Amino acid sequence: MLFWLPLERMVETMIDSYRYIGKETPRRDGAEVVTGSAKYVDDIRFTNLLYGEVLRSPHPHARIKRIEKSKAEGLDGVEAILTWESVPDWKFGTPPIFRILDRKVRFVGDAVAIIAARTKGIAREAARLIEVEYEVLPPVFDMEEAMKPGAPQLYEELQGNELPLYAPVLGPKSLTEIVMGDVEKGFAEADVITEGTFGYENIPNPLPPESPSAVALWQEPNKVTVWVSNQQVWLNKKILSEIFGDNVEVRAIGGPCGGSYGSKVMSWQVQCYAAALSKATGKPVKVCFSKEEHLAAFVLRPETRIHARVGMKKDGTVTAISGKWLLGTGYYSMTTQSQLSVGAGEAQIAVRCANWDVKPTIVCTNRNASGIVRGFGGQELKCALIPLLSLAMEKADLDPFEVLKKNYVKPGDGYYWRDGNWYSYRGVDYTKAMEKGAQTFVWKDKWKGWLKPTALNGTKRTGVGVGVHGNADIGEDVSEAYVRLDPDGRAVIYSSVTEHGTGQRSNCIKVVAEVLQLSLEAISITPSDTLITPIEWGPAGSRGTYAILSAVIAAAEDAKQKLFQFTAPLLEVDTGDLETADGVIWVKGRPDNRIRWEDALELRTILGHGHFNPDYSLANCMMSFVEVEVDTETGKVTLLRVVNATDVGQIIDPPGIRGQLNGCLGSAGIDSALFEETVLDQSTGCILNSNMIDYKWRTFSELPPIDNVIMETPFASHRFGAVGVGEIATSPGPSAVLMATSNAIGVWLHEYPVTPQRVLNALGKVGSK
Amino acid sequence: MRTFKHINAYTVNEACELLGQYQGKAKLNAGGTDLLSVLKGDILPEYPEAVINAKTISGLDSISEDGNVLKIGALALLSDVAKSPVLKEKCGVLAEAALSVGSPLIRNVATIGGNLCQAPRCWYYRYPRRLGGPLPCLRKGNGPCLAVKGDNRYHAILEGKGCFAVCTSDIAVALAALDAKITIVGSKGERSISVIDFYHPLGNTLEMDEMIKDFQIPITMLSMKQRFLKFTLRKPIDFAIVSVAASIGLNDGVCTDARIILGAVAPMPFRVKAAEEKIIGQSISDNVAAEAAEKALANAKPLTMNAYKVNIAKALVRRAITGPTAGLGE
Amino acid sequence: MKVNEETRKKSEEDKRISLIINGNQYSLEVGYESYKVKRSDTLAHTLRETLGLTGTKVSCDDGACGSCTVIMGGKAVPSCTILTVECEGKDITTIEGLGDPKTGALDPLQQSFIDHTAFQCGFCTPGIIMSAKALLNKNPHPTEEEIKEALSGNFCRCISHYQVLDAVLAASGKDGGDND
Repeated sequence: MLFWLPLERMVETMIDSYRYIGKETPRRDGAEVVTGSAKYVDDIRFTNLLYGEVLRSPHPHARIKRIEKSKAEGLDGVEAILTWESVPDWKFGTPPIFRILDRKVRFVGDAVAIIAARTKGIAREAARLIEVEYEVLPPVFDMEEAMKPGAPQLYEELQGNELPLYAPVLGPKSLTEIVMGDVEKGFAEADVITEGTFGYENIPNPLPPESPSAVALWQEPNKVTVWVSNQQVWLNKKILSEIFGDNVEVRAIGGPCGGSYGSKVMSWQVQCYAAALSKATGKPVKVCFSKEEHLAAFVLRPETRIHARVGMKKDGTVTAISGKWLLGTGYYSMTTQSQLSVGAGEAQIAVRCANWDVKPTIVCTNRNASGIVRGFGGQELKCALIPLLSLAMEKADLDPFEVLKKNYVKPGDGYYWRDGNWYSYRGVDYTKAMEKGAQTFVWKDKWKGWLKPTALNGTKRTGVGVGVHGNADIGEDVSEAYVRLDPDGRAVIYSSVTEHGTGQRSNCIKVVAEVLQLSLEAISITPSDTLITPIEWGPAGSRGTYAILSAVIAAAEDAKQKLFQFTAPLLEVDTGDLETADGVIWVKGRPDNRIRWEDALELRTILGHGHFNPDYSLANCMMSFVEVEVDTETGKVTLLRVVNATDVGQIIDPPGIRGQLNGCLGSAGIDSALFEETVLDQSTGCILNSNMIDYKWRTFSELPPIDNVIMETPFASHRFGAVGVGEIATSPGPSAVLMATSNAIGVWLHEYPVTPQRVLNALGKVGSK
Repeated sequence: MRTFKHINAYTVNEACELLGQYQGKAKLNAGGTDLLSVLKGDILPEYPEAVINAKTISGLDSISEDGNVLKIGALALLSDVAKSPVLKEKCGVLAEAALSVGSPLIRNVATIGGNLCQAPRCWYYRYPRRLGGPLPCLRKGNGPCLAVKGDNRYHAILEGKGCFAVCTSDIAVALAALDAKITIVGSKGERSISVIDFYHPLGNTLEMDEMIKDFQIPITMLSMKQRFLKFTLRKPIDFAIVSVAASIGLNDGVCTDARIILGAVAPMPFRVKAAEEKIIGQSISDNVAAEAAEKALANAKPLTMNAYKVNIAKALVRRAITGPTAGLGE
Repeated sequence: MKVNEETRKKSEEDKRISLIINGNQYSLEVGYESYKVKRSDTLAHTLRETLGLTGTKVSCDDGACGSCTVIMGGKAVPSCTILTVECEGKDITTIEGLGDPKTGALDPLQQSFIDHTAFQCGFCTPGIIMSAKALLNKNPHPTEEEIKEALSGNFCRCISHYQVLDAVLAASGKDGGDND
């Protein structure tokens, strides 16, 4: 049952002080983390474990003519080598034409063979001994080149290199474009019309510290257990079931996950390699990508290029947006279509425009694939859309903060969401939060107008920018939980939620403790295992706080109701007359009429069930203000300050939300505008910076001050009136940095990141005397 | 990584003998941060048969004043070089260069000798076997230089000949600004060479059976004002995109002598004599420094993607001439 | 590294390597079998795979991220760039070596990380704690700049940096309360 309270009741509840909600409570897994005893996939010990390694292609595009593996198979300790000819015909993706091992290779680093051996060293030695003969084919790396007739074709199954835009997982009407109203009418109403192209094509890597890993144990004939390194065990089970076929029973076991930022949910290939090798050897097989493989053969952000016309009125109303959105997905797509759908929905949430005609295309090229990354299509879209709107704002001489504030979705507005349905927004108005953010940043003083620096200091100039993002995913997808009440006054939460950084397992404990008024120590949470724990979409997007916790709260409430139903006759009252706290039940107003759980239940437990059904009518929001300094002699851009502003209804865990918002500097967020990029060399097809010195990430040495303005205006969400915001933290920042840098130097930059090369080129300095 | 024989060397002569015995098929391991990276990448045309541990050689890690030179053993840790009171006081440019390398973790194991001998950071050279590499190239002796037609944003803008990988040793740049000499030992005995002459476009001049024993800095250089500047995208960890080390002799604001060395622009530390000549005999001013910077890069030959390095190099030369000194003091 | 004659002879003859890890003496056989220490094994590999001390994490395996940091000879070092066979006689502390081995009580630094929620996914945390511990051992009252410098080689992608600084400052006796 979906459990939520009318707004008035919620405000009432909030005025009562909470025992745990909103207070700092230690993370349940704290001791495990700080002692190193938390067991990530590579830490788990197995008997008879084999190690799986991948032989990878040197060519960006080639057909495999012959694979000679006899020398490798003869190596002592090698137990299986599989190629496209011997591997089960497992495939997935959208559409499901992508095989785990194929007769063709489609990017430098594509899998050619998989090897299982007693040690990693033996497996790598075997890889060296495998001889492969290729028929090299011409590659294509540029999205627009790939769309031209006669371009090298990656898949026989497709016409050209464009992928269908439907995301079947989102429903039959999944959003494939943003089309509504009448753009010609909209342009006619506009005071200014601008046109331009912006690209976010640096395909940065979210780069969680724990590399993608899996252990699989195949038990013939049709059972497989997979230990996964991501936060969505049930989704993994669902995906693998689709790949292996209905007759195979998949059990997915999750545990501590060393970061994911969404990306590791796309680990089906890693899991399939392990499963195929386990099937071939009868032993458990572990596949852990090296960091090079993580950087060059695992998930990147999608490429985005948008060419659009924007119509705007002098009062900041956006009257029309019309254009083409090019999305590059690399050699295959699993979720790029979904990212398109969600991005399209998010665009309408951020920009209240009545007339849209934005048509996307998704194209394949011969590079490592793009997929799920925090920001999920919306970040990529905003990185091009906000600059496009800025051209119009510049022409109309409007303050971007005012325009973005005005145009953000307000209660009563509507949007097409990812499933193609129209939703009416019933969340809060974020205006106050945005204004508080602007105040904290001192935006009014720092904003000097378009392409004007905020301050000059010798050869250095500072500039400011603002970006916004929001997602209606806070109530997406399904969650389920059980709560068991034990006679000893303790409770156990059954949930498939794993810990991947957001602290949601601890938050589950917190909300149950609050509902049942037990100490935190009295609550336990089961390990995540699809054999034991119910269906849970998992912490994706920002759904943890609303969706996951709603199910857990509902389960606790249900358990409490059942406990009262059982106890009421014992005390000779009605169910509604009872209260409970600290393992004792009493009659309201008559505290001496009480009974301990132990005495009421004796040798019996109570099981509550909670379920959450999707709700796409609430959206979160984050506005980011940034200040940068540009050294006009060297082109170096330094991030000086960040202010993030949001409203979350009710903070569940203060350090938790602080960590999520500070995360704007991670997961290929703000820094993808400053120095993060995956360098794809078109002369060889190689990703050149596949190590952690050449792939750049934020260090302790250079931490800008971040102020997080977090308001709490109760949402009509669940019992505690909270909404989540974690996923979107990375997304408003990059376009704000592009805006700030452009303002500092007085020239529009159109690409990310703002490297010294690009800045100096824009200033006309390169090659001059 | 793939296996190898492992031998501890206990004297310099033993190490050189072993290197000679293996005929180039053994690698000397100092700090290990670069060697292990190269071995894990499995990028070399021939994987070494043996690794010879140099850390078991005693007495090679000291920092001392010895008559008219300041001597630093090849195995001195970068963290010790960075923290050494005598180096901070007298060789600020070297101490700062050492402090700028990698991270504190790396500096706790990496050595000054190893820093000069590290393999190039060229990302074609380093492309790992695991991802479909290694890539044949000129430096490896089995193909053309891939940077010329490829992504050469970090490659050489000066003195590239065939191979355009830059010398990425910050220590080499600082030592060159101090006129340091490298003492090399091998089967043919001991020899001394300047830092810049230690390098050539395809590597360094160590013979198969030679190793670096120590660095000697003439104390006459130490009275000059020293400055080290390193341009990177991030403060720690990054290798220099451009660096500069300068030693400037001043008398009443007039330049009496100068060494200005650019790093990460050429296959070796690059001494910009033209810039030095421009400022010697002059009062240091912004104008003089700017002119010197122009002269310094007058012969730059950028590749397709690295012309911006010329701008950065000029800025760094100018700032090195006019800026405050490195280390303690100003 | 300095090795005396006796130790040297011993390690070559027995083909064993002696290490002190978390106060315990280990004598490990060197060889090619999978249960022995191979000459190409890194210290990180030996700790995790041979000795089962999986608290030390491996992320980049290239010395660039600090996840594998241990304290050796009093210094914070990246254990993935060190060959085990070159650690004869070394005194090593891993994350498992903090805290009281008898009572299980956490080191005050570890407790401070819990108190300040100075982690999110936790994967980088052991490495960060070891770098910070090495700093505090030498410099019990570091400034914020000194802490940032000491941790500059430690990668954290969830961005727990600000809370880590609070935790280390608090553990060193100064409250980092001004930070956001």
